[in-house]
Amino acid sequence: MLAYVGRRALLAVFTVWAISVLSFAIIQLPPGDYVTSYIAQMASTGSVVSEEEAQQLRIQYGLGQPYYVQYLKWMNLVVRGEFGMSMEWRRPVTEVIGDRLWLTMVVSLAALVLTWVLALPIGIYSAVRQYSPGDYAATFVGFIGLAVPNFLLALVLLYFGFVFLNAHVGGLFSPEMQDAEWSGARVWDLMKHLPMPALILGLAGTAQQIRIMRANLLDELRKPYVVTARSKGLTELRLILKYPVRVALNPFASTIGYTLPYIVSGSIIVSLVLGLPTVGPLLLKALIAQDMFLAGTIVLLLGLMTVIGTLISDILLVWIDPRIRLEET
Amino acid sequence: MRKRTVRSRLTVALVAGVVSCVVVVGAVAQSKNAYIGKLEGPEVVTDPAKFPKTFKEAPQLAALVKAGKLPPVAERIGQDPLVLKPLKEIGKYGGTWRAGFTGPADFWNGFRCCSGPDHLMFWDYTGDKVVPNLAKGLEMQDGGKTWLLHLRRGMKWSDGKPFTADDFVFWYEDIYKNKDLVPTPSSAMAINGKQGSIEKVDTHTVRYRFPEPYFMFPDVLAGSTELAGQMWGYRALGGFAPAHYMKQFLPKYAGQAELDKKAKDAKFDSWVRLFVAQNDWARNPDLPVLSPWKTATPINTPTWTLERNPYSVFVDTAGNQLPYIDKVVLTLAENLEVLNLRAIAGEYDYASRHVDLGKLPVFIENQQKGNYKVHLDPGDYCDLIIKFNLNYDADPEIGKWFNTADFRRALSLGIDRAQINETFWLGTGTPGSVVPADHNKYNPGPQYRKLWSTLDVKKANEMLDKIGLSKKDAEGYRMRADGKGRLRIEIMTLGGQFVQYTQISEMIREQWKKIGIDLRVQEVERSLALKRTAANEQQLGAWNNDGSEHLFTFPLHVFPFEVDAVASSGPLYARWFQSGGTQGKEPEPRMKELMDKWRKAFGVPEKERIQLGKEVWKIAAEEVYIIGVVGQAPAAMGVRVVKNSMGNIPARMYNSPDGKTPGISRPATFFWKN
Repeated sequence: MLAYVGRRALLAVFTVWAISVLSFAIIQLPPGDYVTSYIAQMASTGSVVSEEEAQQLRIQYGLGQPYYVQYLKWMNLVVRGEFGMSMEWRRPVTEVIGDRLWLTMVVSLAALVLTWVLALPIGIYSAVRQYSPGDYAATFVGFIGLAVPNFLLALVLLYFGFVFLNAHVGGLFSPEMQDAEWSGARVWDLMKHLPMPALILGLAGTAQQIRIMRANLLDELRKPYVVTARSKGLTELRLILKYPVRVALNPFASTIGYTLPYIVSGSIIVSLVLGLPTVGPLLLKALIAQDMFLAGTIVLLLGLMTVIGTLISDILLVWIDPRIRLEET
Repeated sequence: MRKRTVRSRLTVALVAGVVSCVVVVGAVAQSKNAYIGKLEGPEVVTDPAKFPKTFKEAPQLAALVKAGKLPPVAERIGQDPLVLKPLKEIGKYGGTWRAGFTGPADFWNGFRCCSGPDHLMFWDYTGDKVVPNLAKGLEMQDGGKTWLLHLRRGMKWSDGKPFTADDFVFWYEDIYKNKDLVPTPSSAMAINGKQGSIEKVDTHTVRYRFPEPYFMFPDVLAGSTELAGQMWGYRALGGFAPAHYMKQFLPKYAGQAELDKKAKDAKFDSWVRLFVAQNDWARNPDLPVLSPWKTATPINTPTWTLERNPYSVFVDTAGNQLPYIDKVVLTLAENLEVLNLRAIAGEYDYASRHVDLGKLPVFIENQQKGNYKVHLDPGDYCDLIIKFNLNYDADPEIGKWFNTADFRRALSLGIDRAQINETFWLGTGTPGSVVPADHNKYNPGPQYRKLWSTLDVKKANEMLDKIGLSKKDAEGYRMRADGKGRLRIEIMTLGGQFVQYTQISEMIREQWKKIGIDLRVQEVERSLALKRTAANEQQLGAWNNDGSEHLFTFPLHVFPFEVDAVASSGPLYARWFQSGGTQGKEPEPRMKELMDKWRKAFGVPEKERIQLGKEVWKIAAEEVYIIGVVGQAPAAMGVRVVKNSMGNIPARMYNSPDGKTPGISRPATFFWKN
């Protein structure tokens, strides 16, 4: 087991390095650089940036150098735990992301917990009571949840929240709590704002997980070991939870790989619509402004999270599912 | 690209929510006058006999004075206050002004609302007349070659240090002339391409010297030019800087090694980046400023907060130190739809920037619920213009047509401006050519509004037939003269702007079918637009010409003036103009005449200048280098949503980047009635 984890970890390091190269290359792909988008932005507010000034800026930001030099410079910062200066925000990248990382994790975790708390029991119920009215109801809601784009749901809820409930529009805090020090009142304020984004973000996932759970469990329920267990006189609840559900949990474990990056970025579009101060919109803006270090760091972070998530899910799978054997070949 | 999809999806979805208010749209068009009030605003009192004799201050400052932490108010203001006569009444202190902003690139937002403005001279509320502002006065000598700027005695920076002529000389000698900080000299400091200089006469007098008469100088100090205060500090421009504070960031005073270390510790790539970051009004809360409010939490955090400057030199006629409102809080809105919905919900106290004209019916419908009132402030300029790239040469045939006046005129005649006005401006705009509003002093006359800019499909077709484009293909589109198929032209647009360039261009494409012109609309991302104009690959470009109402301080959208433009009417001509004829391409005679007149105007007295200005607009309207579509409308920051309990709010204000609207209405005099 230890050797297995070790090998996977080594591969992970290599993957992360490959991701760093890729993310850097991707950011260089669009035409121009930060200075170009800066000039465009200046031009659209009516001021002129001369060519000499643009040239000077490129030198100051180190943008004139060959790509590999820029990459090495960035890597040099990264290995020291620094990530450079965000060109647009004119603050260290770590601070800019740090501002938002915790809130992003709170929102994403809330959505995730909601997804699992709803999806697991409903999925199990749907499978065990297949074709019952309850199953039909869950299926109906599930398909609606899958079919409705969640940004649209976000817009609709935002508008109705405003029209009928007089709710505060967007964001995670009331205006007066925006900058307050952390306190009981501020946490409560956050709690009050959480349900809507959590629900919207969680809905599509919930629907999907219900379907997956139901399908997997249905496969398992018909297998001989279930019949055997039942014939031995186990109570129905204990029987289902102990054997088939455990097996049917596999997909949940294997999706952790995608779940971790999601937790740090949040959903970009929904966050934009709801005006949530999460990492997602930050990435979008950084890409538009070609804010190289900021965008690169976020992409790298997401890549790292995917790798770690995959590693965790591999290990979890081994642990949950005794059928998976580690074979030395 | 990604942004575009997100935004257009958002728009579609919001439009769906707005369908219920369609009925209101008709009502808006009919009653647009109900929302466009009389132009009014506060005035600057220049007669010392009318100055207040004693001063009062906000209670929290009074408490600080009592505790011995601040000098008395009279000492802080000095002997020559900047006296503003509030629009309606003397206000009272207190409260917060809430609004939204969209991130660190949205710095104009705070400058427009809260910087005072801190120009040395400024405009009166009509946007027409130059009045003293931070400076007490400006005196012309030597036939316009020398200008004496008189500062206010006892005026102080926000940290209590005196504001004197030294701050001008410091800026000129140590910042402006430092090639690392300012690689290209500013055209604002030059007349006919020749640079001027700044020197100290005494503590309160600054002398500007120019090699030739510079009669435009007062307007240059008043407008949003590079000599207009700390707004341009982040590019090391602005005309002055707090010498006592900024010296620590210059190698000359701090020592190169010391400064490099400082820059490195602050994680900046070079001392220059550090310097401009520290000299940024919006980013550095420690920077001494002269504005009524000063940045407390900077623009690169989720909330941009501005607090009263205890040393503000602004006072009302009763001697109350301004501003009245304690604090301005701008919260980050991740996208414009959220910003607009917040404004609709009444979560902003005063908002006009980023407010979407297309949502006007919803704003009006929710006035009572949100406890606000909607005002429209139409600008004096065009909200939509279409530029022909006169230097386009990638396809010589198309380049030739762009340089044919009758081709340009015919295309202009083929646009149904009334339809566009009704659809996109809800009928609030005025269709017409590029010339500014009739009351603008450079307007050449009412007949130029309609010149080549009414719908006349028949005439347009005749003109196109006549110039050699009479052959058409099976679908009715005109064929190229060189026999290479259909004549296709392309317009480049940008999404996510104040005006929906792409959607409007699509409508023009339909309209031009009737004159046999095949238009392709291409929406591109900003950087790509710039890259393509710089490479001279653009054919037509859509933009607005806001700022052109101040023809001489804001000429970017009148003739090819800037090389790097998102919509260009000729990058090679611009280069020719900027380089004094040494680079680029020499323009055709009419364009050259226009440029000559514009340049000449800087060195002549006002009366002559106005005449030259009119002639510039005449040529622009006759030649149709740029098609004007719909203008004098509120699309760019002209839909204003203000809480009912905010006082001293003008019924209509002058809407212009040069006037830093609402700065021109002096937000320091706004106050909370209860």
